[in-house]
Amino acid sequence: MLRALHFAWRNSVRQPGRTCLGVLGVAAVGALLFDMLLLSHGLVLSFRDLLDRAGFDVRVLATDAAPLSGPRIVDAEAAVAAIARLPQVEAAVPVSIRNAEIVSQSEGARPIRVQFLGADPNARPMWTVIDGRDLSAGASAGSPLLVNRALAARLGVAPGSTVSLRGSCGPGSAALPQMRFAIVGVAEFPFDDAAAETVAGPISSLAGLCGDEPGSSVDMLLVRSNPKDGSESAAAAIRARLRGLHVVTNGELVERFSRVEFSYFRQISFVLATVTMFFGFLLIAVLLTASVNERLGEIAALRAVGLSRGRVVAGVLFESMMMVGAGAILAVPVGLALSVWLDGILRALPGIPTDVHFFVFESRALVSYAWLLGAASVGAALYPMRIVATLPIAATLRREVVG
Amino acid sequence: MDRTRIAAPFAIALVAAAALVTTGAAQTGQAADAPGVLLSRQLMERRQLHVGDLVRLSADPSGGRPQSFRILGVYEPTADPMRFAQPALEVRLHLPDLLALKRDPSQPAASDTVSAINVALVNPADADGFARDVSARLPGTTAASTMAPNDRTSTFVVIERFHLAIAIVTMIGSAVFLLALMIMMVDERRETVGTLRLIGFTRRRILLQVLAEGALIAVAGTTFGILFSFASQGAFNRFFQWRYDTSLVFLRITPGVVAQSILLAVPLGIVASLAASWALLRRGALALIRR
Repeated sequence: MLRALHFAWRNSVRQPGRTCLGVLGVAAVGALLFDMLLLSHGLVLSFRDLLDRAGFDVRVLATDAAPLSGPRIVDAEAAVAAIARLPQVEAAVPVSIRNAEIVSQSEGARPIRVQFLGADPNARPMWTVIDGRDLSAGASAGSPLLVNRALAARLGVAPGSTVSLRGSCGPGSAALPQMRFAIVGVAEFPFDDAAAETVAGPISSLAGLCGDEPGSSVDMLLVRSNPKDGSESAAAAIRARLRGLHVVTNGELVERFSRVEFSYFRQISFVLATVTMFFGFLLIAVLLTASVNERLGEIAALRAVGLSRGRVVAGVLFESMMMVGAGAILAVPVGLALSVWLDGILRALPGIPTDVHFFVFESRALVSYAWLLGAASVGAALYPMRIVATLPIAATLRREVVG
Repeated sequence: MDRTRIAAPFAIALVAAAALVTTGAAQTGQAADAPGVLLSRQLMERRQLHVGDLVRLSADPSGGRPQSFRILGVYEPTADPMRFAQPALEVRLHLPDLLALKRDPSQPAASDTVSAINVALVNPADADGFARDVSARLPGTTAASTMAPNDRTSTFVVIERFHLAIAIVTMIGSAVFLLALMIMMVDERRETVGTLRLIGFTRRRILLQVLAEGALIAVAGTTFGILFSFASQGAFNRFFQWRYDTSLVFLRITPGVVAQSILLAVPLGIVASLAASWALLRRGALALIRR
C-alpha cells in the first residue's frame, strides 16, 4: 500500500501545475460544499440556541398560530397560577408584546413606533441589561422602562431619562392616555433585529398603557420546566391541565420552524451541495482520466516490468484521494471565511434577530463533508482505474513504439 | 398602477378567520341562506371539502359564536414569495360578513374597523404626497405608497445578493476547472505545436488558431449551458412547486440572465485557452517536440 501511495505521490508532483489547479478547483468546490452543509442546519441550531438562552423551555399560546401572530390567552392570571402549581414546572411567566408610540414633546414631530415587551419584573429576565439596572429595582418616578441600544441612540436617552408612551393596541388607541416612564436601563433583547426599537416594562404597565384589565389577557406564557422532569413532561402536564391552550416545547418549535419557515435554506443548501458535489466529481474524473490517458504507455511499461495490476490501480485511487484530500483541507479555512461573508449578507434580512446566524459550525457538518468528498474521490477514480485495470500491455506498448 | 395603502393599527385580518374552519360536513337543511365564501384549494384539500358544503367559521380561538357559510367556489391563492413555505389555508369572505363574524358585543366600535384601505389615485405620481397628507390628517393610521421600499423588497434584495455571492464562488471554481482542462488540452498537442513551429508557423499564428478554437469551445459550452438551464428550469420549478404546494415560479431564465452568462462565460473560456497556450508557446520549438 505504501508503494502505491509513493507511486501516486510521484505522479502528482511530476506535473505540479496541473495538480495545483486540481487542488485549487477542489478547494473552491469544497469550500462551497462545506458552506452549504453549515447552512443546512445553521439557522435551526442558532434558533434553538436563542430559544434556550431565554431560560424557558415550554411556551403556552392560545392557538397553534405562530407566536405573537395569533389570538391572546384570556384569563391569563388563572392559567399562570394553574401552571405554576404543577410539580413538573419550576416557573411560569406571562408575556405580552404590543405596539406603542413614543410621544415627542416637540410640536409636529411624528411619534416613534416601538414594540413594548411586558413581563413580570420579578421573574428571571429574558434580556441582558448592558447599562443601568433591571426592572425589578423599580423607579423613583413613573413606571420603570428598559430600552434597547438602537432606541437609546435614536432618542439620545440614558438611564435616568423619562419618556412618554401611548399604547397602540387596537381599536380606539388614539383615545388612550399617555403614560410617563422612567428609563432605568439599556438592554439587549434576544429576538431584536438590527433595526428593532424595543422597550420592556412591567406587564401591569403595559396593561395600563393599553387600557386593559391587569392579568386579563397575555400573548404567551413562558414556562421553565423542573430539570428532573424535563420539558416534554412539563408540556404534557400543562396540556392535561389546560386543554384549550396550545403548548409547545422549544424542541417542537424548532422542528416546526425547521420544517416550514426555514425550509427554503435547507432546500437551497441541498440543491447547491448536490451541484457542487457533481462539479467536484466531474473535475477530478476529467483530470485523472486525462492524466491516465497521457501515461498509458508508461503504465503499460511498468506493468510489463512486473508492477502488479493492483498496485497501479491503487496508485490511481490514491492520486485521486491525495488531490481531493489536499483540496478538502484547504477548503475548510476558505469555507469558514466564505461563510462569514455569506452570513453577513443573509443576516441583513429584515426581522432576523441579531444573534441568529445562518452558517453555524458543527462537527457533524465536518464529518458529512469528509464523507461526501471521500465518496467523490473514489467515484471519480473509478473510470480511470478501469482504464488502467483493463489496459492491454502488449498492444499499448506496440502502439506507443509505432506511434 | 401606483396605489396607496392606508393601514390602521387595529387590524381585522382576513386570513385570521381562515384558520378557524371548524366543520366541513355538508349539513342539508341547515342555514339555507348562509352567506357564501371562497376557500383556497389547499384548505379544500386539507379538510376534504367540496363546493356547496357548509362550513362554520369562528373568530374566537375557542370556536365560540360560530357562523355558517356555504362554499361557493375554490380559488388558487396568489403566490406570495414571503409565505411560500407556509400552507395557504385561506378563506375569502365578503367584508360585511367578516366584520359581522368579528363583532365583539363588548366592543361595538371594533366592528367597524378594517386592516387596510387600498386607494387608486388619479395621478399615481402623487402617492407620496397623498400618503403624507393622510398620515397627518388621520392620527393613528399609517399611509404609504405601495411602491415604497419595505420589508418585502429588502428581503428579495438580500436573497438576490446571496445568490450573486454563490454565483461568484461558483464562477471562481469553474474558472479553475476550465484552466486545468485547457492546460491539459494544449499540453496534449505539445508535439503538434512544436512541429508547426519547426515548419515555419509563427507564434502569433498558432496563438490566433488557439484563440479561434477557444472561442468556438466557449461559445459551444455556453450554448449548451444555456440550453441545459432552459431544459432544467421546468423540472426545478415543478419540484419546488410540488414541495411547497404553490404556483410560485422559483427559477426563470430571463434574457438578462442569458446575456450575463454569455458575457461571463465566453470571455472566460477565451482567456483560459489563451493563458494555457501562452504557457506552451513560450517554450522553444525543440523543447516542445523533445520526448
